[in-house]
Amino acid sequence: MQYKRDGMLDRELKKGSAELLILSLLEAQPRHGYELSKLIETQSGGAIVFRVASLYPLLYRLEKRGWIVGRWVEKAGQRRRRYYRLTSAGERVLASQRDTWREFVDAISQIAGVKHA
Amino acid sequence: MPDWRKITGLRLGEELTQHLDDRYDDLIAGGIPADEAIRRVAGEVEGWTPAVPFEWMALAADVRYGLRLLRLNAGFTIVAILTLALAIGATTTIFSVVDGVLLRPFPYADMDRITILGETTRSGLRMSVAWPNFLDWREQQDVFEHFGVYRGSTVNLTGGDQPERLIAASVSSEVCPALGISAAVGRTFAADEDRPTAGRVVMISDRLWRSHFSADPSIVGRTMTLDGRAHTIVGVMPPGMRFPSRLTDVWLPLGLIVSTFPSNRGNHPGLFVVAKLRRAASVDRATVEMDAIARRLEKQYPLNNADHTVSVTPYYEQVVGSVRPTLVMLLAAVGFVLLIACANMASLMLARSDRRQREIALRSALGASRFRVVQQLLVESLLLSLAGGALGAVVAFVSVRALVASKPSTIPRIDLLTVDTRVLAFTALVSIVTGLLFGIAPALRASSLDLLSALKDAARSSAGPTVRRLRSTLVVAEIALALVLLVGALLTLKSLDRLTAIELGFSPAHVVTMRVTLPASSYPNAPRWTTFHQELVRRVAALPSIQSAGLNSDVPLGGGGSESDVMFEGQPPPKSPKEEGTTCLFQASTPDYLKVMGIPLIAGRRFTDRDSADTTFVAIVDETLVRRFFPGSDPIGKRIAFEFRGTPADPQPIWREIVGVVRHVRHYGLATEPPFVQVYTPLAQLPLYFQDRRPTMVLVAQTALDAESVVSTIRREVAAIDRDVPVYGVQTMQAYVDQSTEQPRMSVTLLGAFSLLALVLAALGIYGVLSYLVTLRRQEIGIRMALGATRRDVLWLIVGHGMSLTAAGIAIGLAASWLLTESMRKLLYGVSPHDPVTYAAIALVLATIAAAASYVPGRRAVGVDPTVTLRAD
Repeated sequence: MQYKRDGMLDRELKKGSAELLILSLLEAQPRHGYELSKLIETQSGGAIVFRVASLYPLLYRLEKRGWIVGRWVEKAGQRRRRYYRLTSAGERVLASQRDTWREFVDAISQIAGVKHA
Repeated sequence: MPDWRKITGLRLGEELTQHLDDRYDDLIAGGIPADEAIRRVAGEVEGWTPAVPFEWMALAADVRYGLRLLRLNAGFTIVAILTLALAIGATTTIFSVVDGVLLRPFPYADMDRITILGETTRSGLRMSVAWPNFLDWREQQDVFEHFGVYRGSTVNLTGGDQPERLIAASVSSEVCPALGISAAVGRTFAADEDRPTAGRVVMISDRLWRSHFSADPSIVGRTMTLDGRAHTIVGVMPPGMRFPSRLTDVWLPLGLIVSTFPSNRGNHPGLFVVAKLRRAASVDRATVEMDAIARRLEKQYPLNNADHTVSVTPYYEQVVGSVRPTLVMLLAAVGFVLLIACANMASLMLARSDRRQREIALRSALGASRFRVVQQLLVESLLLSLAGGALGAVVAFVSVRALVASKPSTIPRIDLLTVDTRVLAFTALVSIVTGLLFGIAPALRASSLDLLSALKDAARSSAGPTVRRLRSTLVVAEIALALVLLVGALLTLKSLDRLTAIELGFSPAHVVTMRVTLPASSYPNAPRWTTFHQELVRRVAALPSIQSAGLNSDVPLGGGGSESDVMFEGQPPPKSPKEEGTTCLFQASTPDYLKVMGIPLIAGRRFTDRDSADTTFVAIVDETLVRRFFPGSDPIGKRIAFEFRGTPADPQPIWREIVGVVRHVRHYGLATEPPFVQVYTPLAQLPLYFQDRRPTMVLVAQTALDAESVVSTIRREVAAIDRDVPVYGVQTMQAYVDQSTEQPRMSVTLLGAFSLLALVLAALGIYGVLSYLVTLRRQEIGIRMALGATRRDVLWLIVGHGMSLTAAGIAIGLAASWLLTESMRKLLYGVSPHDPVTYAAIALVLATIAAAASYVPGRRAVGVDPTVTLRAD
């Protein structure tokens, strides 16, 4: 990443993308925290890893903003887990973030001469 | 399952514990050994601080990031912090003075109800209270719950290694209740101690108790020798008691001197009233009621009370009233400096945020909310202002120490001044407000950028016009503020100049003064008293280090004096005692006094040793008396009188023949000289008034040496005549003159420093804006030059812009000065607050400096190479 030297920018990038990732993963169905972290790690081929210290503050923040809600669910034979699902506000945010990212990636690509994968 | 709480030391909650359990299970299932699995899982929660809300974590990150940016731009950071440190430091210094002098509570109960009463003519000439008038006031008034009377004096303390002079006060039993003060040890005075039968008792100050009696708790009943007589200590005052003066060390019962007060209402024996208003009463009501009493007394005693009324002054006013206008002006001035610094910082931050547009746009695109961006930028400005504030506190600490060490005698309570938590809290508050003030506009503007255009235009500053307008406005404001400060400073300087140019009527150079008071117990009669002084002046004048020496009953600019009505032979006695020009200041001097003081003789002769008690009574008068009463005729040989024998109904004047005329001496103050004429009498022909109440004499000596070195030899001479007589109040005549200009000089120094700082900041502001302008318009300048614009045109483009901003700032500043300096009128002497020369001079200076500050970036613009700038795009 080009902005690696800049800790703050790195953080913002990660944070911005992390929000998008979590919202996207919750679009299809409610999931619990551990499941989210595993999905991100496996689906990115291990490139993106969220540890507890960054994942849960992010979940709580999204919940505070009303984009997702968490709910304790007990399934037979299992311990109870906290499942997060997307709210309608979250759906709108997801849509707009997808647009912004698309524009952003296009802009970067034009300047940096990077082709779409 | 491992106990994660034990392993991590964190209280993780159900959800996180479960997460760790799941992770652990997966790792074990993947064939990872248990200890390695535990290590990895524990690593997941590193940095997990659930107790800290997310907002705080973000703030901490902002602070870290801000610090790093400031470190990277060290030059900017240092300039910014120094600017803020000077501005905040100056503000804190002045605030600590204002706080310590004006705001801090006094140790007296219900300070707002304590008042000081004196007699005054209706035209405002103030004097002390005649004893019979005091008795009538006390009898007739109904607005005060305590009505005390006091008189300041000094006493000789003997019995120690060396005789000492102490500041004393004779107080009635009502003084302490009026102040709400009770004794720390022992008691205060009782009502029967207001009568002549009072015993020789004394209350002492906390300071004296500690320095002379080792804070002995059983001090009550011990005795001390004052003016040669044993006095029994009955009480110790609390440390806060600084009445009537902060140096008062002993309080004596009024009863000891009450029998010396003349029953004549024309005599004002230095008494003043301290009274506590009833809860329901106000100063206004008290003034009305006391005036009604004064009018009744005026009818009853027209000879002495005609035109007299009562002044009722809140004690708070009495203490701080004279210094408040100066302090308020300085506080306003320093506030201006702070505003200019803020404007400068805002301008710098705007330019900086403009350069960071791209970074900010990117962060916004990546999901940083507007709030987060504003927070980030505000954190940066707050870091700067807090660092500036911390350094400013150091500046304030040092300058307050220096101020207290310089012991300004005209600022009350200055000795109590410290930079304490209260002042530091103020500094912190000012720092935060400053940071927000200069940070908010740049932050809000930066966060409202159009993201995509900012990203696309990434390489170039695109938001130029808004920033330029904002910065231009700030520069105009800076120039206007600086102009007001400079005008104020120059007006004060001019006023000081006029003050120091006042003809003193004497020459203070090389004159050392000191005071000598003989105790009445060992010098019971006037001849012995006079002989001591004649012997003293003879011995001192004979010292090799002394050129000449004299004695006088007063010292010019030393505060105080003895006044009386004066009449002229062949003219009817004055109808109203305070009719203009009929009051004279009378002094008793030895022959050489006028010579030592360099008071020029205009006509006639000085006193000689032949003017004795047995020869014709003579007087030397000042030029103002001659101008007023003997215009166009020779006053020498004419007779005047300022004292009377006989009864008030049938006064027998004591005539004195005028033998000489001298220059008028500024006796009461440089700017505040009342219209009294001046009369000198020979010490050998002591005025009646002085025979009853012998004055403290001032020894004046001409010497080439400094005061300290001659004092010890003079002390030896005094001790050789009487070892129980202290010499005190040693001060050069120049110091008296300096004291009377102390507040104006302080104002000039501080205002000068503030306005210089303002000038530098304003110049930097102009420079910064124009440099920025040159950068923004480089392309345009290149095109203009390519199209044939000359260097002169380009230079004018930039300098002209600078000058138009300056002109706007000067116009606003002049108008603001016109309005604001009106409030300085009372502080100025001999110069109008609307002095056109001052205004013009300052406008010219500012314009010149602004031109210079504009020229530098102008030169850079001229240096633009059109081919290079055009190709760059």
